[in-house]
Amino acid sequence: MADFLSQYSIQRWLEMCPQGYLEDTVYGHEEGLAEPDDIMGDEDLRVASIALTVQLIAGERCALAASSGLVNAAPDDASKTFLATQTLDEARHVEIFTKRLVDLGVRKEDVNSTVDELANPNLVKFAEVLLEKVADGDFIAGVVGQNIVLEGMAFSVFELLEATSKDLNPKFAQTLSGTIADERRHVGFGENRIGSLIREHPERREDIERMQSEMTYHMLATFADVFSASGDSMDRGRQLAADHGELDGADMKWHGTDLATASTEDMEAVLANTVLGEFKTRLGRIGLEYRSPKVPA
Amino acid sequence: MNETTLDTAESSIVTSSADAAPRRTFELDDTGFKEVPKRWRKFYRHWQGAGDELAPNEVICPVCKVVIRSHREFRPGDRVYCMPCMSRLVVVERPDGRLEADVLY
Repeated sequence: MADFLSQYSIQRWLEMCPQGYLEDTVYGHEEGLAEPDDIMGDEDLRVASIALTVQLIAGERCALAASSGLVNAAPDDASKTFLATQTLDEARHVEIFTKRLVDLGVRKEDVNSTVDELANPNLVKFAEVLLEKVADGDFIAGVVGQNIVLEGMAFSVFELLEATSKDLNPKFAQTLSGTIADERRHVGFGENRIGSLIREHPERREDIERMQSEMTYHMLATFADVFSASGDSMDRGRQLAADHGELDGADMKWHGTDLATASTEDMEAVLANTVLGEFKTRLGRIGLEYRSPKVPA
Repeated sequence: MNETTLDTAESSIVTSSADAAPRRTFELDDTGFKEVPKRWRKFYRHWQGAGDELAPNEVICPVCKVVIRSHREFRPGDRVYCMPCMSRLVVVERPDGRLEADVLY
């Protein structure tokens, strides 16, 4: 396993990503696809889609700052190379979700003010905890926070959103699909690189587990805020989809939950349980113990 | 003595001489998995979640949840490579007889 770092090359990234699943895509989806009329023709749904997309942009901006900041902190050339490719992945994610914001009707000059206004405060705090480690040049904590906690959360959030969108909004679903493919590499790097480093630096566990607990607290608070605010728009979207026959035969199952009929509470529960379960498993594999947030969110 | 056979995406199947029976072989078709270069795509497929039963020549990557497929059935001790997340894995048998993959760090 000593040579596993050698696989992290720009050439490999080029073959898999730009020359692979992103070939012939425009902003992450087939050319010509548009946001569905159900969203663009209904002000409540359009506003709700903008609010959701802002959270994705806020998360991806954090990932971009973290991955680029970790390049200089990386202890070896292969990790620097991988993080350079991840930096471009994250920049692409910021771009494609920002493009979606514009497609949803936000003027380009209003993008930043919209993100500032609508980004969930708990998600902002989640990012601050991680970026503090990155600013300190703490490679191990930074990669755990970025590639295990943040990417682990994003992986499940994107999967859930893709499951709800693939029959109703192919443009958004395709955008998410390419993002999920990127996330696979990112979580893989997190586990594979940190798995060996934690064994070499067991004294770092306490500090890193505390960071994970803090990030988890803000993540769960973000989920609670977002889902509690989305009940009306979710019902409206389902009603429109049902009226247009778009739910007939739609496959919207995710981790045993039918997303076409689940309540917002059920959706929050399946997402939180999935993410926390993945945290526990991933952290356990690399020699860290999952630590519950100090106050249940 | 062990025999190593190059198989799936940069993976190898290590066949122990203690293997009791010959391994079954499987034809692999393209499942539409586009996350790796074309020549490797038949070795992977998306996992469909609970209820998606794995064939004897398939294991799930525990890191990225992609199903890894081989021309031959898997046995404990086989080493496989998950190209989508670049993890190196070893096939292990759980107490209930299920084959799963553990990550090699």
